[in-house]
Amino acid sequence: MCALLISGGARVGANDVVATHSASSPDAPVDFAREVLPVLASRCFRCHGGVREMAGLNLSDHARVTSALKSGHIAVVPMDPLRSELHTRVTSVDANERMPPDGDRLSIEQVATITRWIEQGAPWGTHWAFTPRVEPPIVMRADDSWSRKDLDRIVLARITQAQLTPAEEAPAEMLLRRVCLDITGIPPSLEQRAEFLNDTRTDAYERLVDTLLTDNTYGERFARVWLDLARYADTQGYEKDSTREIWAWRDWVIDALNRDMPYDQFAVRLLAGDLLANASDDDRLATAFHRNTLTNSEGGTDDEEFRMAAVFDRVSTTWQSFLGVTFQCTQCHGHPYDPFTHREYYEFLACLNQTEDADRDDDAPRLAITRNGINASVPVMRELALELRRTTHVLARGALTSPTDVVDGGVPATIATQSLGASHTLSQDAPMDRLAMAQWIASKENPLFARVAANRVWELFFGRGIVHTSEDFGVMGSGASDQALLDHLAGVLIAHDFSMKSLIKEIVCSATYRQSSIASARTRARDSENLLWSRAPRMRLEAEQVRDSALAVSGLLSRKQGGAPVMPPQPEGVWQVVYSGDAWKVSEGEDRYRRAIYTFLRRSSPYPSFIAFDSTSRETCTVRRIRTNTPLAALVLLNDPVYLECAQALARSVHDEHDDVDAVRVMLQRALGRDGYDDEVTTLTALVTRERERYAAHESEARLLSGDASIAAQSAGESSTNANAVDFARQAALVAAANAILNLDDFLTRS
Amino acid sequence: MSHPRNNFDIDALAQTTRRTFLGSLAGGASAFSLGSIALSQLLAREAHAAPMADSPHESTQLSRAPHFAARAKNVIYIHLAGSPSQLELFDYKPTLTKFNGQSCPDEYLKGEKFAFIKGHPTLLGPVCKFAQSGTAGLWTSEFIPHFRSIEHEVCVIKSMTTDQFNHAPAQLLLHTGEARFGGASFGSWVGYGLGSEARDLPGFVVLVSGDKTPDAGKSVWGSGFLPSVYQGVQCRASGDPVLYAKDPEGMLRATRRATIDAITEIARAGVTRHGDGETQSRIAQYELAYRMQMAVPEAMDITRESAATLSEYGATPGTPSLANSCVLARRLVERGVRFVQLYDWGWDGHGTGTSDDLLTQMPKKCREMDQPVAALVRDLRRRGLLDETLVIWGGEFGRTPVAEFRNGVKEFLGRDHHPHAFTMWMAGGGVKGGHTYGETDELGYKIARDPVRVKDFQATVLHLLGLDHLQLAYRHSGLDHRLTGVQGDAKVIHGLLS
Repeated sequence: MCALLISGGARVGANDVVATHSASSPDAPVDFAREVLPVLASRCFRCHGGVREMAGLNLSDHARVTSALKSGHIAVVPMDPLRSELHTRVTSVDANERMPPDGDRLSIEQVATITRWIEQGAPWGTHWAFTPRVEPPIVMRADDSWSRKDLDRIVLARITQAQLTPAEEAPAEMLLRRVCLDITGIPPSLEQRAEFLNDTRTDAYERLVDTLLTDNTYGERFARVWLDLARYADTQGYEKDSTREIWAWRDWVIDALNRDMPYDQFAVRLLAGDLLANASDDDRLATAFHRNTLTNSEGGTDDEEFRMAAVFDRVSTTWQSFLGVTFQCTQCHGHPYDPFTHREYYEFLACLNQTEDADRDDDAPRLAITRNGINASVPVMRELALELRRTTHVLARGALTSPTDVVDGGVPATIATQSLGASHTLSQDAPMDRLAMAQWIASKENPLFARVAANRVWELFFGRGIVHTSEDFGVMGSGASDQALLDHLAGVLIAHDFSMKSLIKEIVCSATYRQSSIASARTRARDSENLLWSRAPRMRLEAEQVRDSALAVSGLLSRKQGGAPVMPPQPEGVWQVVYSGDAWKVSEGEDRYRRAIYTFLRRSSPYPSFIAFDSTSRETCTVRRIRTNTPLAALVLLNDPVYLECAQALARSVHDEHDDVDAVRVMLQRALGRDGYDDEVTTLTALVTRERERYAAHESEARLLSGDASIAAQSAGESSTNANAVDFARQAALVAAANAILNLDDFLTRS
Repeated sequence: MSHPRNNFDIDALAQTTRRTFLGSLAGGASAFSLGSIALSQLLAREAHAAPMADSPHESTQLSRAPHFAARAKNVIYIHLAGSPSQLELFDYKPTLTKFNGQSCPDEYLKGEKFAFIKGHPTLLGPVCKFAQSGTAGLWTSEFIPHFRSIEHEVCVIKSMTTDQFNHAPAQLLLHTGEARFGGASFGSWVGYGLGSEARDLPGFVVLVSGDKTPDAGKSVWGSGFLPSVYQGVQCRASGDPVLYAKDPEGMLRATRRATIDAITEIARAGVTRHGDGETQSRIAQYELAYRMQMAVPEAMDITRESAATLSEYGATPGTPSLANSCVLARRLVERGVRFVQLYDWGWDGHGTGTSDDLLTQMPKKCREMDQPVAALVRDLRRRGLLDETLVIWGGEFGRTPVAEFRNGVKEFLGRDHHPHAFTMWMAGGGVKGGHTYGETDELGYKIARDPVRVKDFQATVLHLLGLDHLQLAYRHSGLDHRLTGVQGDAKVIHGLLS
């Protein structure tokens, strides 16, 4: 037992904030779910939860908590702490008796809370995330001149309670760059910047947001999230990792996002678009979501074993993506912490266990479709004919070799009872099929669906979810740092009929979002992790944004949308593929410069410069990328020929500037979306001056670094200047400066 | 239940990642003295969720102390991808020779599932001679004469067993503890547990020979759910050893230095403006990247070895080979790299053609492998590195005692995948040299004595490194993951230890 260490970083912080709310008088009723359950979960469930049940005790199961154990003891005797073994053990002075056996003792406050809870009759309760949303009251304060949206009023209340003030509003150009990167994934151009800075209308910012949300780059940016969740790749995975044609699904996602398909409809289509009445090809295409599972075509493999592996993965991915619950534990046993049983896992699995696909090389069944004018054949979900339907068994310990009871389709009771209402189209007695399951997931009444979605959107704009563990809303997750804020945002989403763009607009137009990332020392000290949202976060750009930004600011980025994946340059020999003659054929023309989302992804050797910035190989559902900061990332930006090409293009774009100071200033403006600070200009100009001198003595190197051929061509074409007259030393020095600029912290960070 | 000391929360780790990696590379000499401080800092951070930012001196965190006294500091793991036949190398079975060509007894085949064999197979005796002429009198095959010079250093495990019979899942099980993708690899677990002592190099380096990467791809050296800072860094066999380590064409070294200085200068000014600790860390990463640009090519340049050394290994600079990888492994361990993982492709001896024939391909691969591996062990011993370095050798499973004869073709000889029994060996730090552990039955089909499951092998290696496999855990997706699996039933095999 070692609960001290299970309780993770942000959760403790989050609970601290919660605790300040719930520090209540001795007579106040104890909120089991909020005050007791987290203690049991973090300190007891490891040994006395759904898996271990040591001494026969399972503290996550209400019935068993209050009934006699093998030893004759009863863990909790309502109203009677002194006869309750739980109380006896956590207060024992005997180290051999005391629980938890390892780590710190429960705090005096925790013991007092448990004692009061027992005294009050030990009322049980459900973890907040599994209970219906509570629309928080919005308090309008007369002295509040800061708030722009209701969410601000919720945020401000907590900031004020902590005796802090919000950060100032970010400068216009910083806000512009932030909102462009957040919504489109691409930094603003100089033209966009000039236009916005010159727009004096009071609603200039709101107009900008509307423009960005209608730009098709929006869908390209947010599709990244769905490709991670869907474990989208252009190959089948496993040993052979053969190419899989499924890019049309990626384009479906981009289109659906751009059209602002309501999120509930989006979810239903991904899971069961084929089962909708009058399903169109487009609806069927959506179901390729769950055909991104791995296919094992190695000789001698048991197809049924790998078919089931795919179904298990679909169950897990469905729960992670839409419901924020780690459901996979229940494949082998009851959930150790959350109220889901082993049997319920297989009831849910039964809904996903009736499709035709069967771990075949050809990924059948497929749908022939025309997308962006190209014919494509995409693996999709198709329900088995009635007479071929499978029987789903509970598998003991998750083993295919140990089938037990037969189960019908269904969803877990804890959540179902609260959301299986009028919205559920089937009678409650009939088994659920995939469509009914999808509709249950995507219903307004489902306590998790809108919350998880709202949390994910918030996470994208603030670097951290309100539930930090966006993959786990359960008892062992981080908990919500501010449940009112989360429930409010979920309410906004529902009130706008699940329009994601409306929720995004609400967020980015808030005063909370528009804060500066620079906070006072006092704020940094008192809200060190920004749990109160007392400033904007500084975030390293995502892998895709790094590439797209470098291409954009250097003027190389292609805006071509959709179609088959492309192969931008990567180092020789990265693709060493066993059993396959597949080769990385570098794309030509503008396909060299497409947005990152269109880059071919081979699971067994993903594009190396993306991996250095924490993209994944998409073998399983990724809810949250973990940002790392390694020297390998530095090497990519310093030396990858793709980024050098960007530096050369950026330098070339200023080679007509008369002096080096101006050249440096313009490059900084383009790359950072703001005027360079004096010290930046000074440092980089000095670099140019020194390197010009150095390269004057190294002409051949100067030609190489400046990208000789293209410069010569450009000069010849543009003017009468003789190519030989190009000052290669200067150009090389500008490339060195551009290379430095594309490695600057403020280029790599959105603040 | 024991105290899972390394059971860091994913978020806490995401926060410590930079420091860990930084420290792991920036440290150098005072590694051990500061290790325990670093660990307590990590634990403290985890417990009270200290903010990641505002500590300016990032570079004090070095390698971390093990759970208990370690027998080995470093690992060189030589994986023969495809899996060599134990029956042609270490597991000498005269009875199999005697019954060569006879039908395999029915009792072995009940419920048996082969990757390729169809119908009722026949027994296949070893295709080579065995002798007891080495330094410890072990029975070994004529295919590996050089091995006989290092027998006294080696503990041969003849009773390895796995439950995976295809390459990729079996490799994943061996290297990540799970037969599916997404787990964290051996080297990343070790890096997570112990940190790194190399100043200018990554702590976990991967070298691939035999033209192809292992079947399971880079997942076998990935970090899975662990922060990606722990993933293996593949140094490539030809061209640049590390991707993007070479300056762009025309970039003078002095210019590179000047650009990094400019980046750093501007970043420092930024820190004073916004106080972001992540920027502070990035400054150090750029410095390290610059050092790696120099250190990696130096470490990876085997032309710096004497002609005698190269000749002992059979290494030829410029031509990728397992021999070159073995020389590099020693050079990397000398420079403080914690875990060097070698993969050599080409051992999948099915006997379907010349490229996988037991009679021709197997001895050829053995010639490429035997000399450098034996030279590596001797070289480590001579340089005083073997006591602190654990050398591991093996494939992902074994080969069948029955012949494959795929599609009835009998022109070549080969064996199918065999999960029930295979041989691995270990040498060096804490291993009982000149010793054999475990035994298979007379036909070499099943384990007769002292089975060693993959997780037991993993637990034992971790034990030699001073890590308790139960404590080395990481919470992800609601589970406490361990290299040895969530069940916690792996055993350290003390019979292998000196």
